[in-house]
Amino acid sequence: MSDKPFFIGYMPAPEGLRAFLVIVAAAVIGGMAGASWVLGVGQDDPGPGAVRGDYGRQNLMGIVELVPYPLLHVVEGSDTIPEGTTLMMSAGNKAGVDARALPLDGQLAAVSGVVMERGDLQMLQLRGGRRGLGPGGGPMDIPEPVDMGRWRLAGEICDGKCLAGAMRPGRGLAHRACAAMCLLGDVPPVFVSSQPVDGEEFMLITGPDETPLPKEAYDFLSQYVSVEGTIKRHGDLLVFSIDAATLKLTN
Amino acid sequence: MSVKYIPVQWNPNKWFYDGIMLVGVFVFLWVFLEIAPGVLSHERPINPQIHNARAFGACAFVMLTIILCIGPLARLDRRFLPLLYNRRHFGVMTAAVALTHANYVLGWYFAFSHIPPLEGLLSANQSYFQVAGFPFELLGLFSLICLLLLAVTSHDFWLKFLTAPVWKRIHFLIYPAYAALVGHVALGILQDQQTHMVSALFIGGPVLVCVLHLLAVVHGRVKADRIAKGHGWLAVANVAEMQEGRAKIARLPDGNRVAVFLHEGKLSAISNACAHQNGPLGEGRIVDCLVTCPWHGFQYDVRTGQSPAPFTERVPTFAVRLNGKIIEVDPTPNPPGTPVKPVPLPEAAP
Repeated sequence: MSDKPFFIGYMPAPEGLRAFLVIVAAAVIGGMAGASWVLGVGQDDPGPGAVRGDYGRQNLMGIVELVPYPLLHVVEGSDTIPEGTTLMMSAGNKAGVDARALPLDGQLAAVSGVVMERGDLQMLQLRGGRRGLGPGGGPMDIPEPVDMGRWRLAGEICDGKCLAGAMRPGRGLAHRACAAMCLLGDVPPVFVSSQPVDGEEFMLITGPDETPLPKEAYDFLSQYVSVEGTIKRHGDLLVFSIDAATLKLTN
Repeated sequence: MSVKYIPVQWNPNKWFYDGIMLVGVFVFLWVFLEIAPGVLSHERPINPQIHNARAFGACAFVMLTIILCIGPLARLDRRFLPLLYNRRHFGVMTAAVALTHANYVLGWYFAFSHIPPLEGLLSANQSYFQVAGFPFELLGLFSLICLLLLAVTSHDFWLKFLTAPVWKRIHFLIYPAYAALVGHVALGILQDQQTHMVSALFIGGPVLVCVLHLLAVVHGRVKADRIAKGHGWLAVANVAEMQEGRAKIARLPDGNRVAVFLHEGKLSAISNACAHQNGPLGEGRIVDCLVTCPWHGFQYDVRTGQSPAPFTERVPTFAVRLNGKIIEVDPTPNPPGTPVKPVPLPEAAP
């Protein structure tokens, strides 16, 4: 008769099996620790984007321009946001400020909020209601946009808020659904170009003739794509008006 | 074995098993959440919510990989059978860890929107017809639903209520769940991942599971069940092959298996499928005069197919006879729990 140990769950483990089970238990714990180490320290850098609470609340005056996402051409800046800066704006959470900005298109406005920043990309998250965005003194001339011609660019379409630092990481396929929800909430979309255009890596991306980003483009969110369109400089911000039919996945 | 349903019938082995697995989970989460961030040289840290989601998600992946390795390991080397004994508890732990991962994901990526989180999960990404960009979250959701279903039905009440064959078929959902989880990882985090070791681990886990299952299949073919031969009564073994307290297993024409035991010099045959989880009784032993299942220790009187009182489990018995040195069984099973008179071996006969 075989003398191999026979384990019965509700009986003490056979003598001949105990050492083996101790080794297996150690291997399970050690293996899980090792796997955790590999997966934990192998996480990619989420990038430099951040909510800059350390800058303090920004109280600015500027001219609102809808392209169709609301921009602010700063005319009275702060230590952090100098005059002449052009900012994208969003509300708290996954929401834009289109409805609040619409009556102020082409007008001076007083804005208040916190800056999110990733390199040259800046997004101002406004406070709620009129404390965040309110009239500041009537109509003013919007800086004349500069047409920079037609371009074919490669890069990634993201939501401007998460990319700027609301989330780390705030781009990539794992973030795709979140980006879609942000855009559905009217957060301004941003194109991250693989090659700088006129020194800019980030630009606001819109549909043709500065209309809202078409829904077809949502299928290409967070992926490396190539796309054609025209670029205009609005203040110090580039606006890339794409022809969605030219969107292609690329390597 | 139990005669009434209580949440968990604890014993020292179950405490030890669960303790080891819980230590493994806590060590995994501790290393990921507390140790690894100190090593990362990122300019700015990953959001805590995303870090937590990754920790619990990765832990669930590793746990499910371990669970799926246990079965084939136990087939390849019987010393691993103790890992099978309480695997259900590890499965329930895995479901809890996976649910925590989902909770972090829903509470972060799908929160803060005018769209409710679950609606956002199901509708935000509708690129169903492309590989890169596929809504991989839905694969994770499917896997989670499977794991929760298996966890909820893991108790012996459901095993009894659904019957072992139905219960086992339901619990084969563990394989689609794992396949969906692999897809969830492959179409999600791996698409962005640039660290090769991470990719290697996420790929290596499923490869290990596949290799072990293939080895177990090959091992099973090498040690293939003998097929009962003949017409009417079927030959299953030679008396010279029998060992006291052990069985020979043979496959019957209807696909079921019979286990012929030698106990105190006499032959008895019962179904090879344990009434509990269809465990292979013929791979068990006779302990204290009772056939003992190698999976969970359920016991049966080899002469009657009945569990000892007060337990109520029963398995079918078979009539046995000797044709010279050949042991034969009647392939028609008796109703579960039917006593059959043991057949003495010639040398043990009076």
